[in-house]
Amino acid sequence: MKTFKTMLKIELKLSLRGMDMFIFAICLPVVMVILLGFIYGDRPAFSGAEYTFFEQSFGALATISICAGGVMGLPLLISDYRHRKILKRFQVTPVSPSRILMVHIGIYAIYAIVSVILIYIISAIFFGYRMEGSLVWFAVTYLLVMLSMFSIGMVVGGLAPDQKTAGIAASILYFPMLIFSGATLPYEVMPEVFQKIANVLPLTQGIKLLKIVSLGEPAALGIVPMVFLTVLLVLCSGIAVRFFRWE
Amino acid sequence: MKTAIDVQDLWKSYSGIPAVRGMSMRVAQGEVFGLLGANGAGKSTAIECILGTKKADRGSAAILGLDPQQQRSQLFEQVGVQFQEASYPDKIKVGELCEETCCLYRKAADYHFLLNQLGLTEKKKNFVSELSGGEKQRLFIVLALIPNPKVVFLDELTTGLDPRARREVWKCLLEMKKAGLSIFLTSHFMEEVELLCDRVAVLKKGDVVFCGTVNEMIRKSPYERLEQAYLWFTDEEEEIENL
Repeated sequence: MKTFKTMLKIELKLSLRGMDMFIFAICLPVVMVILLGFIYGDRPAFSGAEYTFFEQSFGALATISICAGGVMGLPLLISDYRHRKILKRFQVTPVSPSRILMVHIGIYAIYAIVSVILIYIISAIFFGYRMEGSLVWFAVTYLLVMLSMFSIGMVVGGLAPDQKTAGIAASILYFPMLIFSGATLPYEVMPEVFQKIANVLPLTQGIKLLKIVSLGEPAALGIVPMVFLTVLLVLCSGIAVRFFRWE
Repeated sequence: MKTAIDVQDLWKSYSGIPAVRGMSMRVAQGEVFGLLGANGAGKSTAIECILGTKKADRGSAAILGLDPQQQRSQLFEQVGVQFQEASYPDKIKVGELCEETCCLYRKAADYHFLLNQLGLTEKKKNFVSELSGGEKQRLFIVLALIPNPKVVFLDELTTGLDPRARREVWKCLLEMKKAGLSIFLTSHFMEEVELLCDRVAVLKKGDVVFCGTVNEMIRKSPYERLEQAYLWFTDEEEEIENL
């Protein structure tokens, strides 16, 4: 526990000094909330809808930081640490690979949680947002979405042979997911063809789940995405730990 | 005397090209052992196979009686390592790197004390990247000493240092030696080897061509100086005449 706390503290400091996560995981979601809030205000999601467009988007906005940390930050960091032989230095100490991975997951989890709390406060104060569904369930499903997206990042960081490949793979995952899954552009305004493509992206399933929970819709609707994400999480974590390489 | 490092018939090749061929050696506790050889002779490969960061094709290596691959976490509680290429994150400060290293061990030394001993107390708040070459090498000694180790591995610790910085590092190593630490080092500086090492092994294209004390090494060669003897063992005779 002492190892975990100290490593978390120092690696978080290093990450904050880097600034990029602060921009993509904290500032970007806030900017998106303000933009969508001003553009759509309290317009209903569609004619006759019981909830507003903004309320419908909250779940999606909450995942921007997950996406930045999980599929961009995490794989780039792991491959960078391997490339610079920082992991190799850890290899000749008693620390275990899973401990190192947990520390970095912890850091990106902090970004994600800070971001979701921040956008909730901003949404509540400036745009009168109230979550219809249960906050506890939202927190639980948010963690599931977060961990499953992070596990994808760990697989990419773990399997990429070098930094360049990790960078390309991260971009291929990050930008389509950010744009098409509804995290920035609302899923609902996209043409049907795009929606179909977006459906296969893991983040789309995550956003669907968060939308159902945040709007207080029947839990039964969330079963498919929940199973999907759980399977993804188990599979990817297994692969990440199994194929972890120090060098 | 107890054995610190025990290497038995170690073989390692990369895609068919042998890098280490049947290396065997034993380092006693409290001994300073130098591994010599030209660049590409297999020194770093040998160290990595001994430490378990590379898997040997054949043979075995044990440190303090422990298998570095099977008993990794137990072993590295008691062993400090400094690799040839220093590796630390960007934008990390000296104090932070020490603190993070400390937290990895159950019984870590007080890094403030070590920094003080190596004259780096003032640099605690500096970024590691701002340190001079000599300061960096001294910092890596601090890191290798943080586990309160019984054995330390130092790969080309003084390469790239100016003569004064090198002497400072030697002073540190001599004190470590006095404290009874086993040291396994590689070096290209024969002056350093003569000063520090109880015994040496010479690698030539992956083969151990000599293993014994510095004096034995000189006696076995037709020369009187260690540097000449070293060149003779590694067959670079033309260069001897130019000395």
